[in-house]
Amino acid sequence: MMPNAVHPASAFAAVLVVATAFAGQADHAAPAPVSGGRSTLPLGPIGMRIAAASPGDTLEIDPGIYREHLRIDKPLTIVARGDVVIDGGGSGDIVEIVAPDVTLRGFVIRNTGIDLDKENAAVRVLAPRVALENNRLEDILFGIDLREAPDCRIVGNRIGGKDLDVARRGDGLRLWRSDRTLVERNTIHDGRDAILWYSSNVVVRGNHGFDCRYGLHLMFSDHITILDNEFAGNSVGIYLMYTTGVELVGNTLVGNRGPSGYGIGLKETDQFSIRDNLIAGNRSGVYIDGSPFTAAKPGEFTRNTFAYNDVGCTFLPSARGNEFTENNFVDNIDQVAVAGRGALDANRFWKGERGNFWSDYTGYDLNNDGVGDFVHESQTLFENLMDKRPALRLFLFSPAQQAVEFVGRAIPAVRPEAKFTDEVPLMRPVALPAAVVERKPAREAIALSGIALVGVGGLLIAAARTSRRTS
Amino acid sequence: MSYMIHIEHVTKRFGRAAAVDDATLDLGAGESLALWGANGAGKTTLIRCVLGLLGFRGTIRVGGHDVRRDGKAARLLIGYVPQELGFYDDLTVCEAVAFFSRLKGLPHTDTDRTLATVGLLGHERKRIRELSGGMKQRLALAIALLGDPPVLVLDEVTASLDAVGREEFVNLLAGLSGTGRTLLFASHRIEEVAALSGRVAVLEAGRITRVVPCADFVAETDRGTVLHLFLAPSVRDQAMQSLRVGGFSPHLNGVGILVPVTPERKAAPFRLLAEARIPVDDFEIVSATHARRVAHVPHSASSSPGGNAVPHLAATEVSS
Amino acid sequence: MTSLPTAVTSSPNASAAVRVPPGLLRNVLTVAHRELRDAIRSRWFWLYTLSFAILGLAVSFVSAAGTGGTGLSGFGRTTAGLINLVLLVVPLMALTSGAASIASDRERGMLAYVLAQPVSRLEVVLGKYLGLAGALLACLSLGLGTCALILAWKGLRTSPASILWLTGLSLLLALAMLSLGMLISVLARRASVAVGTAIFVWLALVFLTDLALMAGALALRLRIETLFGLSLVNPLQVFKMWSLHAVDATLDVLGPAGLYAMDTFGDRVAILFAAALVAWIILPLGAAMALFARRSPV
Repeated sequence: MMPNAVHPASAFAAVLVVATAFAGQADHAAPAPVSGGRSTLPLGPIGMRIAAASPGDTLEIDPGIYREHLRIDKPLTIVARGDVVIDGGGSGDIVEIVAPDVTLRGFVIRNTGIDLDKENAAVRVLAPRVALENNRLEDILFGIDLREAPDCRIVGNRIGGKDLDVARRGDGLRLWRSDRTLVERNTIHDGRDAILWYSSNVVVRGNHGFDCRYGLHLMFSDHITILDNEFAGNSVGIYLMYTTGVELVGNTLVGNRGPSGYGIGLKETDQFSIRDNLIAGNRSGVYIDGSPFTAAKPGEFTRNTFAYNDVGCTFLPSARGNEFTENNFVDNIDQVAVAGRGALDANRFWKGERGNFWSDYTGYDLNNDGVGDFVHESQTLFENLMDKRPALRLFLFSPAQQAVEFVGRAIPAVRPEAKFTDEVPLMRPVALPAAVVERKPAREAIALSGIALVGVGGLLIAAARTSRRTS
Repeated sequence: MSYMIHIEHVTKRFGRAAAVDDATLDLGAGESLALWGANGAGKTTLIRCVLGLLGFRGTIRVGGHDVRRDGKAARLLIGYVPQELGFYDDLTVCEAVAFFSRLKGLPHTDTDRTLATVGLLGHERKRIRELSGGMKQRLALAIALLGDPPVLVLDEVTASLDAVGREEFVNLLAGLSGTGRTLLFASHRIEEVAALSGRVAVLEAGRITRVVPCADFVAETDRGTVLHLFLAPSVRDQAMQSLRVGGFSPHLNGVGILVPVTPERKAAPFRLLAEARIPVDDFEIVSATHARRVAHVPHSASSSPGGNAVPHLAATEVSS
Repeated sequence: MTSLPTAVTSSPNASAAVRVPPGLLRNVLTVAHRELRDAIRSRWFWLYTLSFAILGLAVSFVSAAGTGGTGLSGFGRTTAGLINLVLLVVPLMALTSGAASIASDRERGMLAYVLAQPVSRLEVVLGKYLGLAGALLACLSLGLGTCALILAWKGLRTSPASILWLTGLSLLLALAMLSLGMLISVLARRASVAVGTAIFVWLALVFLTDLALMAGALALRLRIETLFGLSLVNPLQVFKMWSLHAVDATLDVLGPAGLYAMDTFGDRVAILFAAALVAWIILPLGAAMALFARRSPV
């Protein structure tokens, strides 16, 4: 395949970008060639009904377990009535759709082969305008694999990968040159990635991905809308690469702590707007590398909450032109970090009258206008040392760390330069999107453990008070 | 092995100085022996060796048990009364008795009877810090008597008591002699030795110089009077000098100067010191006769001007 | 003045000669009970318990305030704050009470008196250790338990499992520090010297060794495995790492060194931590017992 001119602004850069992409992402090279047809196999019950049907027909399939591989070669609507299981018997693909305007609804499709070279998939789509709705894909290598299949609808499916080592897993969802596809309310777990290749104007909305490598991965896919998804416990929540035009709004990215461990990673991504997301408990909430890629539009980070990440936001030296306004930075161990020896000069943490909320802001607000009276300057000595020597993170949470911080505050000579400043820090956090529901851990459990502990103490005291005159 | 306490060639060194130097002693069952000597002569050290509190060279057996190899069994036979009871201050008398009877492995203790023995009945609920010095020592004695051990070891048990307390305590102890209990005690008070011991081992700089029957020992020391003068430390050397010039043989002890005098020259030292303008804060007349009186009349309530310390030197060098 | 009995009627019990001294366990328990009771009656015990509960609550409320009303839970942030608190308070408490134990008994003449009874030195040391350990456990569980109860009452979030883990691991840390304190106590001649030494050791463990390691990491560019290995020597670091691992099931929050540990040992890293802490409990206590058996207690 020929590399597309992803970034027309710079042909040279495009070549470089693609080269890099291939070097680093060998496992994401062009899809394996599709094996030609399955005419040699005997048809199963569903296969025979497909063979007998006319284009435009609706087939309703009775409950049961069907051990067959399907090839849908005419526009049909195929609906499961009740529990219909199509079992691939652990070999090859299971459903292949080669005709446009096919709808497949309500099936359990399970047990593909595990051949990573042939990319065994539960459902492979090779034609436009296909709708896959409310299917459950289990024990599969690849889940839904769209190849040059634009204008599809992937809605309400549940896709669970095989219990394999990450290196041997396939993608739960893959779009290859499938523009204008809708990916909505799917649940994807235990897969490699949910990935978009060269697919533009795709909407990804309300999906839930967990225990994958990348919850959502964009490669060279432009004008993507990513709304109200939740990616938790993946290696990376959302990784944007070589992508222009992204609206990333209202997503929840929690506890993505794999080897990279980003809530959102941006690599040479351009013209993006990241708003109203909850980014918490990741190793690094946001990781910015070479983004925005051009000066066309500043990278926009607005009303996001960065909470309890090891690092709220990591900037590589190549990160320039990002603007952070009205975000909440809450108790990230390191609120903002610069990897390597870069500086944050080229990024801004306030604009006009709008700064951010910093949980470590020490100033106050005498005139009650909601904006701190002092500039927020991030300059803790330990953070500074930690940015230089990440190994020092070993001493986090220890009194020695606080001793270092104290020295940094007390002795101006060793006080590091401010990493960044926010001239108009907010006194109160910006409200979280309504989607974030407070989850209370059982109060009773805490009370019980408290009672248990007090009980132990009480028993000991009682034991001490019992006189042991005689035995 | 008929000896209850067997001490053989015991040497204990602190650094290069020998606190006990090649001591050998035997006590038969029911025998009572006093260790006699000045402060630092090695009495307490020898007692601590017997209790297994210190390491030493030589052998000590109590009731046949080697105190080092079989210390618990040896100490089970010993009731020990220290110079001063040092124990958890806020423990009640009752609790202290209970604690030690558990340590001694007694199945149950008749606390009342134990306390009655030493006249502490009615004080069970008092905390140790509320007891007087004499009551503390009596508690220590009660604890020592728990389980009726065949051996009692006493280490200058009256040293921290006043004259009345001392006499009471010695009376109490005297009541214990002749009951078949073996008694080993350290003292530098002639009246105690006279009242309690059958034999006296004299210690000098860690060595046992001689072991004599008590009667002989008391008789030996009953020939003179010793004047115990209390002076400010700053003037002691000057006072020693004046007394030597005046023909006396004074000795320093911890709190004053001991001057052996003949009965007719008891006032001479005062005159000498007055002439030298050395103030005397207080004085006592120490008489060995008194000690014997205590021994023979144990219930005497008369006050006794007993000396604070009579080193054996004073006792043996005094001329009558 | 109490009237004295005219004669003491008791006579030595012949059966005493054949009586067997009480066994090790019984004596250890007797001494331990005495020690525990004494500790619980003392002011330091309640002072530590109270300050532990108050500081614990303060930490919890401050970390809750840090969320600034976002309604987000702290992902164990409270636990992290409590870990820090434990690191400061528990070693101080355990080291000083251990250091004071034998040295002050010796100073008061109590040690010689107790050892003159039919007990062995081993029993006395073990009993004192056990008693003080009980007092420390009571202090920790009362302090953290009260803290948990008030948190539950106020509806603040923290995971119950992490509080229990923290209490358990704090106890292990306390046992290790108590061991070290008793070793100091056996070595020191005077109680004041023992407590002074204990405070210095506390300073060294809390600040100096970590700061030295940090300086080493910066100046000598220590390798990650060296840094991790060295940090295992400090029981406080071990406690901290184990707590994080117990609560988070991973150490990656500690950066490259934590990742190295997880890559190399996986979940067996907890065994490593346990071994390190147990060594810190057994070795100083063993040394204390060996020295105590040899040195004069008076």
